[in-house]
Amino acid sequence: MSGPIEGEAVAAPAAPPQAPNDQAIPAAPAKADPKGTKPAEDGASKKLSGADLKKQKQLEKQAKRAQAKATAPAATQQGGSPKEQKQKEQKQSQKKDEARPLPIRRRPSQSGAVPQQQAKKESKRDQKNLGLFFGHLYSQPRQHSMVGASKDVHPAVLALGLQYSSYVICGSTARMVAMLLAFKAVIESYQTPVGTSLARHLTNHHLSPQIDYLRGCRPLSISMGNAIRWLKDLIIKIDPSTPEAEAKRDLVEEIDMFIRERVTAAQKLIRDQAATKILPGDVILTYASSSIVEQTLLQAHKAGVPFTVIVVDSKPLFEGKTLARKLANQGITVRYYLITGASHAVKDASKVFLGAHAMMSNGRLYSRVGTALVSMLARSQSLPVLVLCESVKFTEKVALDSIVGNEVAPADEILSEAERASLLPLELHLPATHPSRNKSDHDKFAAADDAKSGPLDVLKWVEGSDNLHHLQVLYDVTPAEYINMVITEYGSLPPSSVPVVHRLSTNT
Amino acid sequence: MAQGPVQLAPGLISFLKSLKTTPADPSVEHLTSLLKRRQIRNSRPCAIATTALMLRVVGEFKGRDAAKLVERIRQVGRRLTAAQPREVVVGNIVRRVLGLVREVLDDNTGGDSHTGSDAGHHTPAHHDSMVRPTLSSSISTFSPLRHAAAEPMDASMTSDMSDSSDLHRRPPLLTSHTSYAPTTSAPLVNSLFGLFSQPDDSNASTPTGAASPDGKSAHSLNLERLADLSRSTNIDLKSEVMDGIRELQDELEQSDEQIAGVALEHIHSNEIILTHTASTTVQKFLLSAAKKRKFTVVHAETYPHDNTATHGILLTGRKRETRLDEDDDPWKPLTAAGIPVYVIPDSHVFAIMSRVNKVILATHTVLANGGLVAAAGAHMIAKAAKEHQTPVVVLSGVYKLSPVYPFDIDELIEYGDAGRVVPYEDGEFVDKVDVEHPLYDYVPADLVDLYITNLGGHAPSYLYRIVADHYRTEDITL
Repeated sequence: MSGPIEGEAVAAPAAPPQAPNDQAIPAAPAKADPKGTKPAEDGASKKLSGADLKKQKQLEKQAKRAQAKATAPAATQQGGSPKEQKQKEQKQSQKKDEARPLPIRRRPSQSGAVPQQQAKKESKRDQKNLGLFFGHLYSQPRQHSMVGASKDVHPAVLALGLQYSSYVICGSTARMVAMLLAFKAVIESYQTPVGTSLARHLTNHHLSPQIDYLRGCRPLSISMGNAIRWLKDLIIKIDPSTPEAEAKRDLVEEIDMFIRERVTAAQKLIRDQAATKILPGDVILTYASSSIVEQTLLQAHKAGVPFTVIVVDSKPLFEGKTLARKLANQGITVRYYLITGASHAVKDASKVFLGAHAMMSNGRLYSRVGTALVSMLARSQSLPVLVLCESVKFTEKVALDSIVGNEVAPADEILSEAERASLLPLELHLPATHPSRNKSDHDKFAAADDAKSGPLDVLKWVEGSDNLHHLQVLYDVTPAEYINMVITEYGSLPPSSVPVVHRLSTNT
Repeated sequence: MAQGPVQLAPGLISFLKSLKTTPADPSVEHLTSLLKRRQIRNSRPCAIATTALMLRVVGEFKGRDAAKLVERIRQVGRRLTAAQPREVVVGNIVRRVLGLVREVLDDNTGGDSHTGSDAGHHTPAHHDSMVRPTLSSSISTFSPLRHAAAEPMDASMTSDMSDSSDLHRRPPLLTSHTSYAPTTSAPLVNSLFGLFSQPDDSNASTPTGAASPDGKSAHSLNLERLADLSRSTNIDLKSEVMDGIRELQDELEQSDEQIAGVALEHIHSNEIILTHTASTTVQKFLLSAAKKRKFTVVHAETYPHDNTATHGILLTGRKRETRLDEDDDPWKPLTAAGIPVYVIPDSHVFAIMSRVNKVILATHTVLANGGLVAAAGAHMIAKAAKEHQTPVVVLSGVYKLSPVYPFDIDELIEYGDAGRVVPYEDGEFVDKVDVEHPLYDYVPADLVDLYITNLGGHAPSYLYRIVADHYRTEDITL
C-alpha cells in the first residue's frame, strides 16, 4: 500500500518546508471572510450563526497568532513552557474541527477550491449521528493545516503532515520512511535545553509534539508506530554522558540504518523472492497500489518473464491507476478494473499479489479497503493469494473485523465533482420537506441563477438530509483463511507465523 | 437521458408516446434502435416497452391465422432480442405473449376448434391424439366441454359461433383494431382463467415438453396443429391475446407493490440491511417496511455504472428513467421515511458485512437455475454475505424470470463504457491499459437464500417451476 517510496519520500521533507508557510497563512483570513456572508443563505447552519461569529473571531485571532508564529518559526523555541503549550494545544484542538483553512489540500476528488464547505462539514458531523458503524473513529478531528500546530513542530514535520493529510505521501512504508527522514532533520536541528539530557528531553518533549501533529494530520500507520517505538527506545538508551553532537550523529546514522535494513534491503529480499513466484504466462492480479508489489512485478518483467497484470482499483484514492500507469509504461500488459468488476477480473487471474498496511498478530491482513473482497473472490476461485509485507509492518495488535480499528476518510469524497455535477438535475425532484429544497426554491425566486447551484450544492443536499450519511474508511481486515502466503524478508510464511516473526524482528 | 421533462429525448417515454401514433413495423424498428443504442435499458423499461409494442403488434395483426400470429410475434421477438440479447426481459415478454396466444388456443381447442379444416367434418379427437398422445387425458381435466359435448352438437355449435364471430370480427379488422376489445367478453373469462391459474395450466403444459423433448419437432408439430386449428378458428384470438397483454402490463405495474407487500414479513426492527445499485423494487420494498419498522440501510453505490442513479434515488427517491407516469405518485426517499441510510463505496462491502444482518439485492434477470444477473458488484456482495452467513434476499418481478439457463455466463454479461472507469481525457492511460467495465455480475444460485417475487417467496431451487409455469417449452427458443 505504498506510494513511491524512495523518490518522493526522500525529496519531500527536504523541499517544501518554506512553501506552506507562505500559502497557509493567507488562506486563513481569506476563509474567514466568505464565511461571514455565508450563514445568511445557509439554511442548515443558520441557527448557529451566533456561535459562528464567535468562532470566526477566534479563528481570526488564531490565524494572526499563527502568522506571528510563522514569521519566526523555530527560532523561539523556548517561547512557552511545555505546560502552556499543552493548554494551548488543547484549546486549539477544540476548535480544530471548525477552523480548517485547508491551504494546499489536494484531494483526488476535488480539483477546485472548496475550503468553506469542508469546514462546515466537519462541524456538522458531530450533530449527525454516525455512531452506527464507525462512530468511535470520528472522535479525533483531522487536521488539514498547520494552523494550531504546536510551535515546537519542526518545519519539515509541518510539511510532512500536510502531505499526509492530502494523501500526497500515502502508503504505510512511504509514510514511515518520510517520517523517519523528517525526524532526522528534527534531530539534527535539535539542541538539548540546559538542565536536561538529550535522552530524556528529546523523546518526551521534543519528539512528542511532532508525533502528535502528525497524528492529527492523519492517524499513524502501524509501521510508523513501530518505527516511533523503535526510535524512542533508541533515544532512551543513549548514555547520558555521550556528547550531544555525537549522540545526534549516532541517532541519524541509526535511522539511516533502519531505513536501509528494514525497508530497502527488506524490500529487495521480498521482491527477489516474490518475483520467482511469477511464472511465464501468469496473470497477476493486484489490488490498489503497493510499492513492493510494483517492484516485484517490474523485477519479474525485467527478468524477461512474460506475464500480464490485472489491477483492480477502487474509490476513493484510485491508487491502482498510478500503478497501472507505471507498469504499462514499462511495457507490461495491464488490465484495469474497478472493484465492482472484481469478480470478473478474478476469473482471468492466476495469482493474487497484495500489499499490506499491516499484518495483525492473528494472521489477518490489514490493508486498503477492498482487499478483503479481492482475496475472498480469489480464494473462491482457488487462486493463491500472496501478501508481500516487510516485517516492520507486523504488529502485535489483533483484529477480528474492520470496524473496531480503522481510519475514516472524508466522506464527502464519495461524490467526486463530476458525480456531483451529474446529480444536479435532480434538484427539482428533491422531496419537498428537504431543507435545501426550500432554500433552493428561495434562491430561485431571489435570483434566477441556475449557474449558481454548483456541484457543491449536492453535498449540501446530502448534509441537509438527516438520515443520509456517506461513509468511507480506508482499510479493511482480510481473514487469515484467504491468505496463502506472506512473503517477508524472513522468508515465505503462512499467515499464522506472523506473531512469531514479529517477535523475532522486535527482539533483535 | 436529458434532464427534466424533456419528452423528446429518445427513451422509454418518447417511445411510448410515438407508439400511439406509429404503426407496428416502424415501432419495431424504433424500439430496435433504442435497444441497440441502449437508450432503453434495464429490465423494467425494456419490459414496459416490449409489452406496449406487443400490444400494438398483435392489435395490428391482420388475419385470423393463429400460426401466423405466433410467427409474427416470434419474428418481432427475434428482432428485438437480436438488437439487445442481454436484455433478457425483452425475450421473456415475447415468450409470455406467445404463451398467451397458445393458451387462448388451447383453451378453445378443447371446446370447439377441432372441427375439421374445411367443412368441419374431421374428427378432432383423432387428430389431436395423434399429435399429442400423452396430453389427451390432461386436457380433458380442464376443458370439460371436450368430453361432454357430442360430436354433431359440437360441430353445429362451432359453425354457429364461427358465423357470428366472423360477423363480429371482420369489420373491425378493416377499420380500427383497438375498438373491438370490449365486444369479446365471453372468451375473456376463459383466457383469464388460463392466465392466472398457472398451476393447473402448467401441469398440463409441462408434459408437452416431456413428451417431446426435442424443441424443434415440438415446435413444428405445434405450428402444424396451430395452422390446422386456426384455419377454421372462430375464437376471437386477437382480442383475447390483447387482453392478456394488458394483464401483463398490469402485472408489470403491480409487481413492485406486490413485492413490497410482503416486506414486513422479511424485515424486522433494528435490522441493518445492505443493498446496492438503484432499484425501484428494492426502494419500494424498504419503504413499505419503513412504514412500520425502524431499520438501517447500508447502500453500496455501484460505482462507476449506477452510482449516479444510486445517489439520485437516495436523494430523491426515484429513478429518472422510470419517471414516466409516476409523477403523481408521492413516493419519497427512504431517508424521508426516517430510515438512516449509509452510502458506502463498493469496496467497503466486506468491511461492513460483519454488521449487516440481511442483504437485499436487486436483479437484472433471474435465470431458471436460480442464479441471477445483477448489477456489477452483486457477486462479491453475495459472496461476502455467504462468508459471513448473512442471508441474501433477491427481489424480482416474475417478468425478470427468464427460461434461459446460464450455460455461458459471459454471454449474459454486458460491458459498458470504459470511459466511466477512466475518463478518455486520460489518453495516455487509456491507450496503454486495457480498461474494462463489466456492467453485470452473475450470481450463482447457491449464494442466494431467498427470492421474493410478486408471487411470493421462493427458494432458488424452486425457480425452475415458476419458469415452467410462465413459459411454454415451445417458446423457449424464439
